Amino acid sequence: MDLDVAMRIASAGMKLQAARLRVVSENLANAESTAPTPEAEPYRRKILEVAARRDRETGATLAAVRRYGVDRSELPLRHLPGHPAADAAGYVRFPNVNPLIELMDMREAQRSYEANLNAMQMARTMLQRTLDILR
Amino acid sequence: MRATLGQALAAYTAAFAHGRGDLAPAEPATAGGLSFGALVREELASTKSALARGEAMAVAGLLGKASIQDVVEAVSSAELSLQKITAVRDRVIAAYQEILRMPI
Repeated sequence: MDLDVAMRIASAGMKLQAARLRVVSENLANAESTAPTPEAEPYRRKILEVAARRDRETGATLAAVRRYGVDRSELPLRHLPGHPAADAAGYVRFPNVNPLIELMDMREAQRSYEANLNAMQMARTMLQRTLDILR
Repeated sequence: MRATLGQALAAYTAAFAHGRGDLAPAEPATAGGLSFGALVREELASTKSALARGEAMAVAGLLGKASIQDVVEAVSSAELSLQKITAVRDRVIAAYQEILRMPI
C-alpha cells in the first residue's frame, strides 16, 4: 500500500540524516586532531555522499548513503613550533574542518530529520483516520 | 489493497446470499473472481507477515542489529495491519449479529 511505502521512504530518509549527523559529530570531534609526525596526514573532513536507491520490493526510490568520502581541500597551517607535528618552519597542518559549516550541516540534518518524521507521522495518521471510518 | 471496493462489495453480497441459503456454491466465485473469504484470507496472510516482520525488527533493534527508524517503521506498519484486520472482523461480526436480530 502507498501509505506503507511512504512510511518506509521516510524511515530511510531518517536513517540517512542519522548517518549525516554521525559524520558531523565525527568532524566536530576531530577538528583539532593533528598528525603524530610532520609527514603524516592530520584528520581530514569527512563528507557524506548521498545516493538515490531503488527499493526492489516496493519500486520506491529511497535515499541512502553511497559512501563516506573525504574532503580533499587544503589543510590550514598554524604556527606552533613546539608541536610534535611541526615542520622545519614550525608550521603544523590542522584538519580542514570549519566548525561553523559543521554546525550548519548539523542544523540541516535536524530539520531534514524532522521533515521525514512528519511525513511518517502523517502517513500513519492518514491510515489511522481511514481505519476509523470502519469503527 | 489489491481488491477494489466493488469486488469486495460483490463478494459481500455473494457471502450474504450464501448465508441466506440461496443457490450459491460453498465458495461463491464472483464477478471479480475474488470471494470475500479469499479477500479476508489474503489480508490475514499479509497481516501475519507484517506482524512477524515487526517482531523480528523489534528483536533486531534490541540486539543493536537494526536502526531505531527501521524498528519504528516495521512495528507501526504491523500495528496498523492488525488494526485493519480487527476492524474488518468487528464489522463482519456486527453484520452477522444484525442478521441474527432480524425478526422472521
